[in-house]
Amino acid sequence: MNILTNIAPVKITLTVLAAMMLCLTNMVGAQVLVPSGSFHSVMPEIKGEPVEVESFYLDSTAVTNQQYNEFLQDHENWKPENVPSIFAYKGYLKNWENTNADDIVNPNQPVTSVSWYAANAYCQSAGGRLPTLNEWEYSAQLMDFESTADAKEFANRLMSWYSTFDNENMGAVGSTGIENRYGIKDQFGLIMEWVEDFKPVVADDLSLDCGTVGRMQKLGNAYSYAASIRYITRMSFSPKSTNSTVGFRCAYNVETMEDKKSNL
Amino acid sequence: MKSIKLTFTLVIGLLLTGITSLSYAQTSEYEIDGKTFGMPEAEVFTEDYDGPPVVGDHLSMLPNLEPLDYEGNKTHEVRIDIIAQEIEVADGVKYEAWTFGGTVPGPVLHVREGDRITFTMKNRSDEAVTITQPTKEGSPFMQQVAQNNYMKAQEATMPMPHSMDFHAGTVAKDDKWRTIAPGQSIKFDWVANYAGSYIYHCGTPSVLMHTAMGQHGVVVVSPKDGYDTGYEVDKEYVIVQSEYYLKKGPGDLYQYDYEGAQNRNPSHVVFNGHQTILHDQPLKANAGDRVRFHVSNNGPSGTSSFHVIGGIFDRVWLEGHPFNEMRGMQTVLLGASSSATIDMIVPEEGKYILIDHEFADAEKGATGTLKAGPREK
Repeated sequence: MNILTNIAPVKITLTVLAAMMLCLTNMVGAQVLVPSGSFHSVMPEIKGEPVEVESFYLDSTAVTNQQYNEFLQDHENWKPENVPSIFAYKGYLKNWENTNADDIVNPNQPVTSVSWYAANAYCQSAGGRLPTLNEWEYSAQLMDFESTADAKEFANRLMSWYSTFDNENMGAVGSTGIENRYGIKDQFGLIMEWVEDFKPVVADDLSLDCGTVGRMQKLGNAYSYAASIRYITRMSFSPKSTNSTVGFRCAYNVETMEDKKSNL
Repeated sequence: MKSIKLTFTLVIGLLLTGITSLSYAQTSEYEIDGKTFGMPEAEVFTEDYDGPPVVGDHLSMLPNLEPLDYEGNKTHEVRIDIIAQEIEVADGVKYEAWTFGGTVPGPVLHVREGDRITFTMKNRSDEAVTITQPTKEGSPFMQQVAQNNYMKAQEATMPMPHSMDFHAGTVAKDDKWRTIAPGQSIKFDWVANYAGSYIYHCGTPSVLMHTAMGQHGVVVVSPKDGYDTGYEVDKEYVIVQSEYYLKKGPGDLYQYDYEGAQNRNPSHVVFNGHQTILHDQPLKANAGDRVRFHVSNNGPSGTSSFHVIGGIFDRVWLEGHPFNEMRGMQTVLLGASSSATIDMIVPEEGKYILIDHEFADAEKGATGTLKAGPREK
């Protein structure tokens, strides 16, 4: 069943469905079309109205250490020794010992300890951008469960995970076995991820206290509780934040990807 | 083109930074009934600080209370950093706690009514910090933990945004209790306007989760003229009751039990953060001693019916305020974030059990021992 119970059915047009089929054979790092649709955000947007999301492409896995290292070879100004302090806290790439080595440690693990600025720069160079908060959440919540019990069990697991990340033994991208119905992997269970508008303007109006969690319980299930923790945690970041549990993946506009394909 | 894009990104980033710091009006100090209000705006900043996470002369580890070795009022420079720490809270039950200063509960701060506190806190949750190396720096708390590491604290990291809410402070929460991201620090002043024992805790949502994960402690504000008793107490101890909501994780460690926390079904209810610590290391006194307990129920969600088996509370000051005096109480009922200062005469040599008389809590750990030696006077 769809965990987003009590929600208007997700709208999928036939054309994007066709495009989607082409992308189902994705591998690690592939860009997958997430068809347009709608979802219920935990944010106090238009009351009761689902949030509409246009089609977009999203990396099926988070950006890895190896991918980020390749980016650094072409963009020396983002190497730790060169990054100005206005773009990142001191912890930037702190888990990396060497940014020049070919044999980078844990090449297939997601890159973390990168600031929002750095994540932006990476995605720009990849011809994309960070996903918006709504795009990321919409994709993350496109998960199917066998039963309500399964959904509840998943939500409980999610809460435990948000209390204790095992960042000492982080897995490779694609290793969590968690993916949405289009094959976008690891939006949970591996790292937290930057989004373009991680601190929406409405954040300032929300009084961040216990009541905030309460009023974010719109979906009426434990899943939305985890979502509220995620939203609040993300809203509290600085764009310079470099957390050992925060990485990113890139999104791409549909037109950009179509241009790319027609140029091939 | 690239540089234009980068500049645009920077501007957006700065806007995002700015959203949380829309100008707060600088209020000026004023007094009502001898109490001081109107603290300067809190400062959020970054610093290279990597020293002891707890700094200040009057910070101690439970059940100790540092004596106030000064006359009148003073300004305390206090630092309590936020660090993650793997701790043991019952035999074989370890989890990665979110802490103030490295233990659960955090350090006890002792000040006098009317004192001013200049408080600094760095969110070092993404930094491995060791609290068990002997050090003369910092505070009595650091030395006491190094000498008596009953939680077997080991460094850990778990980057999360956090904040500090001192119940002993009277300020605007959207300024002083602001949430700071890992790597950020906050500094603000507050004045201890009211005598009593007050909890402090993280106020970042989910507050239930943050406090259940370990982010709470106590400030003891001694009345400026003391309690009107005509006697000195022989012993003084601080007791904090709190709940843990833990379940076994995939490895050796325990994890947060979301359902248990939601349904108020704690895995452990404890005194001073550990299921058996007040039996393993009993409080000590002698027959005929007057013992003062500063008891705080830090919750997050339960109540405490605090009782001592074999004793009657001679005097009780609810919330620790000298005006709230009661006499001859068998049990003091404390709601979540409520406290009492309790004087008890120890009747005779023997064993006295401190207990939450809500027995479901007692059986989950909320008990301790006061061991009384023979009468000396």
